Amino acid sequence: MRITCPYCGNRSLDEFLYHGDAEPQRPDATADNAMDAFVSYAFERTNPPGQHHELWYHEAGCHAWLVVTRHVSTHAISSVDIARDLAKARTPNTAGRA
Amino acid sequence: MVENILQARSAFPEFSLSRYHQLTIAVREHITMVSLAAWDGQSEKVQSVIQSIYGHSLPQRPVRVGGMEVSFLWFGPDRWMAVGERDGGRDLEENLKRHLHGLAAVVDHSDGRAVLRLSGARARDVLAKGLPLDLHPRVFKANDVAITHASHIGVLLWQVDDAPTYDIAVPRSYAHSFSDWLLDAAEVFSAI
Amino acid sequence: MGNSSYRSKTGGLIDRSQTIHFWFDGVRYPAHPGDTLASALLANGVRLAGRSFKYHRPRGILAAGSEEPNALVELRTGARREPNTKATVVEVFDGLEAFSQNRWPSLKFDVMSINSLLAPIFTAGFYYKTFMWPAALWEKLYEPAIRRAAGLGRASDDPDPDRYEKLTAFCDVLVIGGGPAGLMAAVTAARSGARVILADENFNLGGRAIDDASVIDDQPAAQWVCAIEAELDQHSDVRVMRRTSVFGTFDGGTYGALERVSDHLPSPPSGIPRQRMWRIVAKQTVLASGATERPIVFGNNDRTGVMLAGAVRTYINRYGVLPGRRAVVFVNNDYAASTARDLVRAGAAVVAIVDSRPGSTDAVRAVARDVGCPLLDGAVVIDALGSQRLKGAVVRNAAGSTETLSCDLIAMSGGWNPNIQLTTHLGGKPQWSEQLSTFTSGVLPPGMSVAGAASGEFSLKGAIVGGAKVGQVALTQCGYQPVDCAIPSAISESAAMSPLWRVDGGRGKAFVDQQNDVTTLDIELAEREGFRAVEHLKRYTTLGMATDQGRTSNVNALAIMAELTQKSIPQTGMTMARPPYTPVAIGAFAGHHRDKHFKPTRLPPSYAWAKSHGAVFVETGLWLRPSYFPRPGERDWLESVTREVKTVRNSVGICDVSTLGKIDVQGPDAAAFLDKIYMNAMASLAIGRCRYGCMLREDGILLDDGTVARLGQHHYFVTTTTANAGKVFQHLEFCRQWIWPHFDVQIISATEQWAQYAVAGPHSRALLRKIVDQPFDISDQEFPYMQVGEMTVCGGVQARLFRLSFSGERAYEISVPARYGEAFMAALLEAGEEFDACPYGTEALGVMRIEKGHISGAEINGTTTPTDVGLGAMMSRKKDFIGNVLGQRAGLLDPDRPTLVGFQPVDRGQRLRAGAHFLARGVKEIAENDDGYMTSVAYSPTLGHWIGLGLLKRGPQRIGEIVRAFDPLRGYDTLVEVVSPVFIDAKGERVRG
Ligand SMILES: [Zn+2]
Repeated sequence: MRITCPYCGNRSLDEFLYHGDAEPQRPDATADNAMDAFVSYAFERTNPPGQHHELWYHEAGCHAWLVVTRHVSTHAISSVDIARDLAKARTPNTAGRA
Repeated sequence: MVENILQARSAFPEFSLSRYHQLTIAVREHITMVSLAAWDGQSEKVQSVIQSIYGHSLPQRPVRVGGMEVSFLWFGPDRWMAVGERDGGRDLEENLKRHLHGLAAVVDHSDGRAVLRLSGARARDVLAKGLPLDLHPRVFKANDVAITHASHIGVLLWQVDDAPTYDIAVPRSYAHSFSDWLLDAAEVFSAI
Repeated sequence: MGNSSYRSKTGGLIDRSQTIHFWFDGVRYPAHPGDTLASALLANGVRLAGRSFKYHRPRGILAAGSEEPNALVELRTGARREPNTKATVVEVFDGLEAFSQNRWPSLKFDVMSINSLLAPIFTAGFYYKTFMWPAALWEKLYEPAIRRAAGLGRASDDPDPDRYEKLTAFCDVLVIGGGPAGLMAAVTAARSGARVILADENFNLGGRAIDDASVIDDQPAAQWVCAIEAELDQHSDVRVMRRTSVFGTFDGGTYGALERVSDHLPSPPSGIPRQRMWRIVAKQTVLASGATERPIVFGNNDRTGVMLAGAVRTYINRYGVLPGRRAVVFVNNDYAASTARDLVRAGAAVVAIVDSRPGSTDAVRAVARDVGCPLLDGAVVIDALGSQRLKGAVVRNAAGSTETLSCDLIAMSGGWNPNIQLTTHLGGKPQWSEQLSTFTSGVLPPGMSVAGAASGEFSLKGAIVGGAKVGQVALTQCGYQPVDCAIPSAISESAAMSPLWRVDGGRGKAFVDQQNDVTTLDIELAEREGFRAVEHLKRYTTLGMATDQGRTSNVNALAIMAELTQKSIPQTGMTMARPPYTPVAIGAFAGHHRDKHFKPTRLPPSYAWAKSHGAVFVETGLWLRPSYFPRPGERDWLESVTREVKTVRNSVGICDVSTLGKIDVQGPDAAAFLDKIYMNAMASLAIGRCRYGCMLREDGILLDDGTVARLGQHHYFVTTTTANAGKVFQHLEFCRQWIWPHFDVQIISATEQWAQYAVAGPHSRALLRKIVDQPFDISDQEFPYMQVGEMTVCGGVQARLFRLSFSGERAYEISVPARYGEAFMAALLEAGEEFDACPYGTEALGVMRIEKGHISGAEINGTTTPTDVGLGAMMSRKKDFIGNVLGQRAGLLDPDRPTLVGFQPVDRGQRLRAGAHFLARGVKEIAENDDGYMTSVAYSPTLGHWIGLGLLKRGPQRIGEIVRAFDPLRGYDTLVEVVSPVFIDAKGERVRG
């Protein structure tokens, strides 16, 4: 398999590390249901056939975390996005400095 | 201050210039490397500082800018590797730290990376034995940069000229294994 | 029989000007360069090449390529001895030694052919049915007996002496197969400027155009092929790879290919590999891999002298060899009838053409008329006569009567199977073509197209036109402009065919898979016993599971199964083909990475110094670290380690700790970020101070520990354990980029930059005073425990000093740029001479951390929480951090969980062993009573007896209790006393001096 890193270009699979599903988001640790939410976040996966959004790490390249959209039956990759950009767009800037 | 009494040791102590048919491999001993990582939102300021001091605009894709004295390699998103000659001592690091204070993380890698230079028409053939990268002249040209691995060792590679000449930086602790592999891969060209 | 008696006067691509010699079963034979072992054997009249796998029947040569099931030989001797090579692909060189297999005591007289008489027990499912019970006999009796009788070849016991290489190549268009279709595709793409790789498994190009001695553009095919090769050589972006088998299709346009660089030479020249493993990355791929001829299954069809018709043509046209003098040509198609023309032209007699199709066809009639032989239409061969040499063919004619035709060769053809294995490796299913009565490719791997016989286009003209067309599509896909090319002229011969899988009413065994000795009866038995699905059929009968991958047997077998089950062939289905398409040496997969090069080795900065000072090294991950430094007169490692520990405890020692992961964390949010990473607070750390820290996984389990030093407001310097350096770096990047993307922080690995040494022991400060440059004050007021500072040493060398202790003694870690590491080690020891300082290795390091009760990889083992190892109180309750929530799960807080304590043997003379399980005294040794296990042990030079750390249920409440340390695996059972994990200096006074 080959993955096209948006920064480095088309590279062989062995430069990358697979992490897992990119769908679950780390819950709010202060919420009332935090324990249930974290259990779900850490352990519960549905693994349906078809397109998955997956986290990959360009370990032997630029060290960017990527969100790879991959069909898990055919391995066809339809898009590769920069994880940090998606994450920034997803969460308001409350975690960092005031 | 008294004179430094410590002897520097090469990362390739047993390596001398190796000449093959259409290929030479040499150690780039006197090289200094300093990484810059711009803090969020400071990328443009870092750009303009480098522009005003060195006259180069930092690349936004995997290429190298600059000349013999100092060049800047793309080294990841909002990261660069400044590469200079060692004769300046720690000047490069200190200059960058001074000018980029509060704008970027400046970290010296001059000792952490060991650099070999491959040059000649056979360079691509040798590298193909471990470097999984397309170095065809239409694809990878002079001043192109790649971060990848070769023979299971992380490398930062850049093309110097069309000879072709490549500089390859590997982590210092791997230098011995890397040159083992490279000399093994090149051996066939000593016979021809 | 005379030399070269079956060699024709002219023809073939062999070099007749040179005669070379080879040995087969100890007999010396002549050959010419360009011969395969098979062609050379046939030229010398040697028909018998081996004995079959199960029944030890005499077998000859069936085919002329890599599909050969029978002629398997052992090549060479000594370390280069290689079994199971196909004589049909082995190129003869002067002095080649080959041996037949599966025979004892000799090929012609084989004792094991008695197996033939035992045939009823060797039927399908034999292995499953016969050797069921008792299982204990399997290893001792059954398997050795079967192996001896079944006679697998013998591999060499010596290390492989050859070199292998693994390479990556990139191209626009990969063309697999150098026959007419592949050559046209390659040259068409090349003319447009595309980067082309053309791979062919043979040692010369041309494919069936050479085998059939075809005419292309009004010239002999060989001439045309030469011209195309010359043109391809002109293009700098074309790589023609001969002797190269593309063996696998992988995702992303990646192909595996094996180049046999030196297999055709007596031994590889200096520096040259035996084989190269290529990973080829192609934008477009043209599969022009040709087709494999199908046998027809009839009685005793495995007799030597029964050969595929296409192979007969190959031996005549490519090698100038006549496989027989009196031939029966047995076909179900037009194409193969032309074999009769080649035979006659080469000087053989054709006894008859037997065409299974009633009425035959005009094309076949024309051949029979031209060569002047009888044509028996609607007729079949039902039996082959003779034992070691073919003597005749029993033919049943259309009317049902039989006659025996005297012959020494049966050239048979049941049509052709396109070689589409590479189209199915990614899951594409072959499609049955009713029109062609064969499987063709289904859904193709992305970027692949198929041309020539591989696409079911069996005519030469079709191959040429198709190859050019597919080449043009491929180059266009790659963004090149097509160049106008003339299409060479060629005839369009008929390939009309009417399927015939097996002959009814044949006599004797009729073999479907000759390599695994599977007969039609085995398939019938499998059907009766319910193993009807093709994948079951394959495993039950072992059909298609040998080194030829069933290339001459799979389709016949499933067609026979379809007949038996009265289903159609598509309903019956086709077995799944997987890589590799042809066998690949394990050495080729390893390439450079074998023996000491199996993986890279990392050398710490003081490596050369340590080596010259007699260090004994130990592999820790990829690192090679000094384990201990023996001195003359020391009897064993324990004595050396004991001395090293005592030196540190009483004076000062030095240890290279550069292998620890070192990470620079910088940025306005560095403090807030590290607060999320570590379970204890890091933002509150003062500039110039260090703190011990632990990080957890999100599930609350310990991930790693280390120290955090704050060098500036926005600058931290973090260390990790040696083993987890990469994992922690990845984790930090994950948190920075994905979980908290708004943190403005940068993470830079500095592991390699610094040579870092622990200087430990009561005299460590005195030693360092001699090293650290004058202006820097390292007094305890200026440099207390857990202080960090930047300074210079040895006259201006940049350094960082950390006052940290792993040993429990007053200690420092000092780092200098790695290039000075070796000299700095020497300088430290020189400065330490007056204190009798010594270097120490990982063993002494480990002993002292156990004495001090510090945890390490044995305790941070992927199952332990901070509370388990006594660090629960360190966990912050005031902030969120990774592992914070899930670390509070009830199961992880269970007070019954095994918790860290120390142990010492009740009988102080006894040694302890890590891995022993704890049992309360007097209980049964069963899992329910397991109270935990010993994680680390050491002989403590300080206490004079063995000590251990371990995880014991409610450990801290059981201090003083005596428990059993039970290790049935190593037969060891000792009473131990539960004690505090801190064996020395419980108050921690010594670290502060
Ligand atoms: Zn990348």
